[in-house]
Amino acid sequence: MNVIETHGLGKRYGRTWALKDAALAIPAGYVVALVGPNGAGKTTLLHMSVGLTRPTTGQVTVLGSEPAGSPAALDQIAFVAQDAPLYKYLSTADMLHLTRNLNRRWDQRRAEGRLKELLIPLNRKVGKLSGGQQAQLALTLALARRPQLLVLDEPLASLDPLARHDFMASLMAAVAEDGLSVVLSSHVIADLERVADYLIVLSHGQVQVAGEVEGLLAGHSTLTGPAAAADDVTERLAVVHASRAGTVAHLLVRNKTAAEPVPPGWEAHPVGLEELVLAYLRAPGAAALPGPVTRATQDSGIRA
Amino acid sequence: MTAVAAPAPPASGPRPVPWTKLVWVTWRQHRMALAGVAALLGGLGLYLLIMGLKIHSGYASVTSCHPAGSAACGLADQLFTNDYYPFAQTMTGFLQVLPALVGVFVGGPALARELETGTFRFAWTQGCGRMRWVIAKLVLLGIAVTAAAEAFSLLFSWYFQPWLTKGLDGVLAPQLFDLRGVDFAAWTLLAFALGVAAGALIRRTVPAMAAALAAWTGLDFATFMFAREHYQAPLVAAGAEANTRSFANDWSWAQWYTGPNGKPVSQQTIRNVMAHAPASVQNSRNPDAATAYLSAHHYTQWWLYQPVSRYWHFQLIEGGWLLALSLILVVATVWLVRRRAA
Repeated sequence: MNVIETHGLGKRYGRTWALKDAALAIPAGYVVALVGPNGAGKTTLLHMSVGLTRPTTGQVTVLGSEPAGSPAALDQIAFVAQDAPLYKYLSTADMLHLTRNLNRRWDQRRAEGRLKELLIPLNRKVGKLSGGQQAQLALTLALARRPQLLVLDEPLASLDPLARHDFMASLMAAVAEDGLSVVLSSHVIADLERVADYLIVLSHGQVQVAGEVEGLLAGHSTLTGPAAAADDVTERLAVVHASRAGTVAHLLVRNKTAAEPVPPGWEAHPVGLEELVLAYLRAPGAAALPGPVTRATQDSGIRA
Repeated sequence: MTAVAAPAPPASGPRPVPWTKLVWVTWRQHRMALAGVAALLGGLGLYLLIMGLKIHSGYASVTSCHPAGSAACGLADQLFTNDYYPFAQTMTGFLQVLPALVGVFVGGPALARELETGTFRFAWTQGCGRMRWVIAKLVLLGIAVTAAAEAFSLLFSWYFQPWLTKGLDGVLAPQLFDLRGVDFAAWTLLAFALGVAAGALIRRTVPAMAAALAAWTGLDFATFMFAREHYQAPLVAAGAEANTRSFANDWSWAQWYTGPNGKPVSQQTIRNVMAHAPASVQNSRNPDAATAYLSAHHYTQWWLYQPVSRYWHFQLIEGGWLLALSLILVVATVWLVRRRAA
């Protein structure tokens, strides 16, 4: 089952396309990192997936074949919007009560237990909680709904490093406990490196990379060698991004076969997730997409 | 996306969140606004109650004054009126804006605050869906402000009744018409509906409240200036007939004179004619004397009026179109919420 599936999905605001012709099939059971620079279309994609925004073109279905925003979809998807908007004038306890009354399924014991662990007092006004506590409360409310899919839009953006760490730890504990699928967006890749096992890179409203993290890392490597020979190598290999420092060139290449031979005089290194994402973001024309019908095949794979 | 609006989900879909839960949500989110309305109407209501008791007891002693028609009783009546009537009139002036204050205060922020602060992204992605959420809010809050306004209006009617019985004002008079009957509540509902619609459209609390207030004031003004007199074709009274029937209870808003040729003449012409009248006519306290003198010279006074017997008919016409307009606005608001993108 795909937790989110899109076909030709596009959203236009005025004359600008926030997202264009997105074809995605995110399988269940992953923690999906949706990364890209600000304005890449991450929020637009997530909002369309949870039924907040209507697509201009194409369709998005969730949890198999439910239309995004349908009663069944709303019932099983929990969404935490950017900056975790909650009712600041309510107490934490009332915020729980409110969310319970807005949903069919609700696990009060779990919600209260989590807040107790996090030392978030039930009688305090939401607006008086710290940013980290508000984010944790929003996560708690989402998890107490017992969703199949949890969607988080920039959950870490407004948190300090300690709160970020705590938030991710809570999230991963919940994932391990419930086995739910998670899609979370961020413009800071480092935060997601340890947790994500599926990666989507969005850039300028286009899906640039989509795939399992393990496969993506295995499928790419960095070659270090003489800058003079770089052009020669670039011609033969699928170079995503090249950088030169003096006489030394670093090439991030996509391996065409499983065990691609390293050109003589060059050294191959494995790539990190951040390195991979940055290389693709610096090369807007490059794409690494799965499946038979993607832009990648139309554009004959990799261009640098 | 069409499934969002479906009142009942397909058989395979989940059972919707019961309305009773949404009643609690609405109450919890808007109880401060409702408490504000209760405080405002309650405070004013308490004042009307205290003053009303004084007026009613004062009026009772005036009517039971013995011997009726004596100079002492006349004086008592005069003092009673002087004591309470001027302020009752001021009160009616002040209360004209109350429906707008109540309706816009509750309706304006109801959706605009969610849209302004971004909490709608929380509310609209919960299991109940945005349609149930918005319908529960609009229906419950609409009923609450309308009911509170009607209760206040009934209290005001009781408070003001002695002056109506004394014939100092007619119930069709513009400053009283929209404080009594169903009109006060209907104008309050309209202010609420304008508030929520403006909130959904403008998405900012203060501008939405200002826009709703402006729209309400414009409609209210246009209604009593131009529309209300046309709910039913007005009657015309002429000459002596106009004098024999007192217009205290009827609503007359236009008077004019016609001359010997049957064409309207100016007030100045009438003053010129009257200047030649004998002193007995000019100094007469009986208006019939002047009317008779003018009539003898072929000048006739005309009155355009709505008889007091049409009061409830007018109330229902105005209440009806206000209710219809409010419902249209509420439906439009629900439609805006359904379509609204994040």
